[in-house]
Amino acid sequence: MDLRAGDSWGMLACLCTVLWHLPAVPALNRTGDPGPGPSIQKTYDLTRYLEHQLRSLAGTYLNYLGPPFNEPDFNPPRLGAETLPRATVNLEVWRSLNDKLRLTQNYEAYSHLLCYLRGLNRQAATAELRRSLAHFCTSLQGLLGSIAGVMAALGYPLPQPLPGTEPTWAPGPAHSDFLQKMDDFWLLKELQTWLWRSAKDFNRLKKKMQPPAAAVTLHLEAHGF
Amino acid sequence: MLALQIWLVKALLIFLTTESIGELLDPCGHIDPESPIIQRGSNFTAVCVLKEKCMDYFHVNANYIIWKTNHLTVPKEQYTVINRTAASVTFTNVVSPNLQLTCNILTFGQIEQNVYGITVLSGFPPEKPKNLNCIVNEGRKMMCQWDPGRETYLETNFTLKSEWATEKFDDCKTKPDTPNSCLVDYSPVYFVNIEVWVEAENALGNITSDHINFDPIDKVKPNPPRNLSVSNSEELSSILKLTWINPSINSVIRLKYNILYRTKDASTWSQIPPEDTASTRSSFTVQDLKPFTEYVFRVRCMKEDGKGFWSEWSEDASGITYEDRPSKAPSFWYRINPSHSHSYRSVQLIWKTLPPFEANGKILDYEVTLTRWKSYLQNYTVNDTKLTVNLTNDRYTATLTARNIVGKSDTSILTIPAYDFQGKLMESKCYLITVTPVYANGPGSPESTKAYLKQAPPSKGPTVRTKKVGKNEAVLEWDQLPVDVQNGFIRNYTIFYRTIIGNETAVNVDSSHTEYTLSSLTSDTLYMVRMTAYTDEGGKDGPEFTFTTPKFAQGEIEAIVVPVCLAFLLTTLLGVLFCFNKRDLIKKHIWPNVPDPSKSHIAQWSPHTPPRHNFNSKDQMYSDGNFTDVSVVEIEANDKKPFPEDLKSLDLFKKEKISTEGHSSGIGGSSCMSSSRPSISSSDENESTQNTSSTVQYSTVVHSGYRHQVPSVQVFSRSESTQPLLDSEERPEDLQLVDNVDSSDGILPRQQYFKQNCNQPETCPDISHFERSKQVSSGNEEDFMRLKQQQISNQNSQSCASGQMKMFQEVSAADAFGPGTEGQVERFETVGIEAAIDEGMPKSYLPQTVRQGGYMPQ
Repeated sequence: MDLRAGDSWGMLACLCTVLWHLPAVPALNRTGDPGPGPSIQKTYDLTRYLEHQLRSLAGTYLNYLGPPFNEPDFNPPRLGAETLPRATVNLEVWRSLNDKLRLTQNYEAYSHLLCYLRGLNRQAATAELRRSLAHFCTSLQGLLGSIAGVMAALGYPLPQPLPGTEPTWAPGPAHSDFLQKMDDFWLLKELQTWLWRSAKDFNRLKKKMQPPAAAVTLHLEAHGF
Repeated sequence: MLALQIWLVKALLIFLTTESIGELLDPCGHIDPESPIIQRGSNFTAVCVLKEKCMDYFHVNANYIIWKTNHLTVPKEQYTVINRTAASVTFTNVVSPNLQLTCNILTFGQIEQNVYGITVLSGFPPEKPKNLNCIVNEGRKMMCQWDPGRETYLETNFTLKSEWATEKFDDCKTKPDTPNSCLVDYSPVYFVNIEVWVEAENALGNITSDHINFDPIDKVKPNPPRNLSVSNSEELSSILKLTWINPSINSVIRLKYNILYRTKDASTWSQIPPEDTASTRSSFTVQDLKPFTEYVFRVRCMKEDGKGFWSEWSEDASGITYEDRPSKAPSFWYRINPSHSHSYRSVQLIWKTLPPFEANGKILDYEVTLTRWKSYLQNYTVNDTKLTVNLTNDRYTATLTARNIVGKSDTSILTIPAYDFQGKLMESKCYLITVTPVYANGPGSPESTKAYLKQAPPSKGPTVRTKKVGKNEAVLEWDQLPVDVQNGFIRNYTIFYRTIIGNETAVNVDSSHTEYTLSSLTSDTLYMVRMTAYTDEGGKDGPEFTFTTPKFAQGEIEAIVVPVCLAFLLTTLLGVLFCFNKRDLIKKHIWPNVPDPSKSHIAQWSPHTPPRHNFNSKDQMYSDGNFTDVSVVEIEANDKKPFPEDLKSLDLFKKEKISTEGHSSGIGGSSCMSSSRPSISSSDENESTQNTSSTVQYSTVVHSGYRHQVPSVQVFSRSESTQPLLDSEERPEDLQLVDNVDSSDGILPRQQYFKQNCNQPETCPDISHFERSKQVSSGNEEDFMRLKQQQISNQNSQSCASGQMKMFQEVSAADAFGPGTEGQVERFETVGIEAAIDEGMPKSYLPQTVRQGGYMPQ
C-alpha cells in the first residue's frame, strides 16, 4: 500500500472541509440605484468649499468696508438685517427637522442670500473684488442647484418663491452709509453661519442616507442530520 | 484672408479688363457662382456670362470663351456652350484647395482677353470633435482640449459650450491659432457638475461633439508643493526628512504625492513607493539612504482619489545624510627600511584612505597599536596615512582603525614577522601558504593555498552512521576527518556494506560528500557498513556500523490503519443515523408495545361513557375508512410529531396506540387535550414487562367503546357538562397550589392553577384567557383581544395540558411538553378542524373525571 499517513490525514481534512462547506451560504448581492447619497456628499463638499472661499472673500470685503468692520473683535448688534434669513436655530428644533424641511430651509435661505449678494456685487468698488464676488455668486448659484438636485432626487418639490416677497437690494433712503455697511457686514456673517449650518445639515443627511451595513446572515442548514 | 485674396483677384481682373478695353469700366461679363466653396473631391460647374455690349465690341460670342485655371487653359472637352452669351465649365473631383478660375475671350483672332475671375475654395465639413477633456489649473481658469478631426482646409470655428443643470455659461470661442483648445472665461465652481461640449462649424456644415459631464474638482491640476526642504537626523544616518507646504487647494481636497530622489551625482531618479505617500501630508521621512551622502528630492501632488492631474514637480531640494562610523577598516601594510642597528629596525606602516562610501563621513584620524608578542602595547594617533616606527627584531602585531565623528571602524590587523623568521616543515602536516602582493601604493588581496610536504594515508578512518533508515534504503552520514588525522588530501571514500550472509558491496563516494543513500536494501535485514578514506598515498578503514532495516516503511502502518478506522467510523456513523431515522420502524420490529393485561381497567372505564363519547365523536370526524380502529385518529390528532412525519408514522402509531389505548383514553384523555405522548410513556412505564401485542381483552374494550359511542354524536354538550365537575374537582388542589398567591378574584385561582402546572410561562396566561373567554363572564378587567387569543390559546393549550399531565403523571418533559406545542400548531393547520379543537377544550377536563374513577385506584 503506497498510501502514506499524510495522505490519509489529507483525505480526512478534505472530508471535513466538504462537510464544513455543506451549509448553504446565500450570496449577498446588493446592487441598485446609488440614490441621492453621492449628490448629498457633493453638496456637503460644496458647502465646505464655499465656506473656505467666503473666508478669504469676507476678509477682502471687510477690509474694503474699512474700520471698524475689519476689526477682528467687531461684533455689532444685528440691526436692520431682519430681512436676512437667520441660520441660528435651537438645537432641539434643528434636530427635529425632517429632511424635506431641512432642505427647503436651506434652499430658501440661499435664494435670498444670493439676491442680496448680487446687490453687494453691484456696489463693490474694485474690479478684483467684483470678480471674487461674481465667482462667489456663481458658486452659490451652484450650491442652490445642488440643493435643488438633492431635493429632486428625494422627490421633494422646490419651494416656490411667493410673489411680492422677492427680496431686493434697495436700501431705504433712511440708510446711512454706515448702516449700509452694517448690512453688508451682516450679510457676510449670516452667509458664513448658513454655510456652517448647511455643512452640518448635509453631513446629517449624508449619514442618514448611507445604506445600513449589509447584515450577513448565514443560514446554516445541517443536511441530513 | 481668403476674402481678401478673392477681392484682390477681382480688383486685378477689373483693372486688366478696364485697361484692355480702354474706356470700359465694367467687366465684360461675370462668372456664376461668385465665390464658391465646395467639398473636396466633388464636381464643380461655373458659368461665364458675357455682356452684349462687349460681345458686339469684340465680335465674339460664348463659343469664344476660354477657361483658365491658375493660368493654364482648361481643355475644351470640359466646356459647354449654353447659349450665345453663356458657356460653362465643369471640373470633376476637385482636389486643389485653392483654384483660380478665369473666364477669357479670344478677340481679334488670337488675343486672349480676361473677362472675369473667381477663386474656388475646396475643403471638408468639420468632423465630430473627439476626446474632449478639460483641465483646471489650480487658481486659474478651466481649459478644455479636443481632437478636431481631419483638416478641413476651410475656416472652421470651434465653440466650447458649457452649462449647469440650472444655468448656461458664456461660450468659449477658439482662437484661430489654437483650434483644438479653449480657455473658458470663468473660474469653475468645484463640486458642481458641469456639462461641456464643442460645436464645430464651417461653410460646409456644423457638428457637435459628445457632451461630457464632470465635477471640475475631478479635473484639477494642483499647484506643486512649495518650499521643499530637507533635514537630516543625528540619530539615524540613513534617513532624511522632507517638509513642504501644500498648495492651497489642500483645504478643500485631500492629496497624494510622488517623491523622487537621487544622489547628487546620479542621473536617474528613484521613486518612493506611491502607496507610502497616498495621503495628505506635509512631510515625509525617506529611509534606507546611505550615510554622509547628498541626495536631491522633488515632489508633486494630485487629488487623493487619482482623479485629476499630477501637479508639476516642485523645486529640487537637497540634503546630506548624517555621518556613520566607517563601515570598513583601511587596507594596511608595512615596509621595512634597512636599519643601521642590529637590535632595531625601522618599519613604515602605510594604509590607504577609505573611499567615501566606506568612510561614511569625514575621517578625523587613524589609531595604530603595536603589540610585541603578546606583551607590550604602543598606541599612536595619526592624521596621515603612514607611520614610521622603530621596532625590535621580535614579531609584532599592528592594528589600525579609522575614526570619524560618529565612531571607529573595525580593526585591520597586520603581523610583522620577527627578523630571523625561518620555519621547519614536517611531512604529512597541512600547511596554509599565504602570499600577499605588495604594490607601490599598498598591498593587494592575499591568496592562500593548502599544501603538504609529503602525504601519507589517514591515521584514522571515517566513522559512518545512519542518519535515517527506511524499509529499502538507508541514509549514511559521516564527518570529515580532522586535519590532524588526514595526513594528506582526502581524494575519495569507499563505503562497504553487506548483510550477515551476503557479499560485500563497495561504493565509491567523492570526498566532498558527507552523506550517501544506500538504496535497494532488503527490508527487515541486518546490515554492516564501514567506510574507508583515501589520500593519494592510501586508505584507512573506519569502524564497522550495523543497522537493521525495518519491516514497514515509515507511515505505512498509519496509512493502513487510519483509512480503516475512518471507514469504520463512517460506517458506524451512517448506521447510527440510519437507526435514528428509522428508530420507530426498528422499535416496532424489535420491541412491539404490549399492554399489560393485569393493569387493564375495563371495569372502571365502562361506566364512564361521557368521555368515550367525546373520543368517539372526534374520532369519527377524523376517521378514515381504512382504519378499523378509530382510536388511531384520536391519538394521531394529539400526536406530538409534526405533520409530515405524522402521516408516515400513522401506521406505526396505529399499532402502538391500539395497545396503549386502554390507558391513553383514560390517562391521556385526562389532560387538557389528551396528549397521546404522555399516555404512551405512561403506559410504557407501566407496561415495562409486557412484550406481547395487544390482548384480546384490550382491543375488545376499545371496540366496544367505540361502537358503543357511534350513535351518540352529541359530543360537545357533554364535554362541557363535565366542567363543573372539573371545577369542583380541582378547587381543593387549586387552593393548595395558590396558597401564597394573593388574589381575591374568583377566577384567579384557576389561572394560577394553570400557571403552576405549566412549564412555559408564555403559554399559561393564554390558557387562562381562553378559559375566561370560554366560561367566565365577559366583564373581565383585563383588556385583551379575545378572538385572537382564543386562537393562540388553542394552540398553546396543548402544551399546558401536557404540563399538567406531567405534574400528575410524572411524564418526562421531553416526551410530553416539548413536542406538544410544535405538534399542535402543525396539526391545526393541516387538519383544520378548529371548531373541534375549540370544543376539545372542555374535553380536556374529562381526564379528571376519569381519573377519579379509573386512574386513582392505580
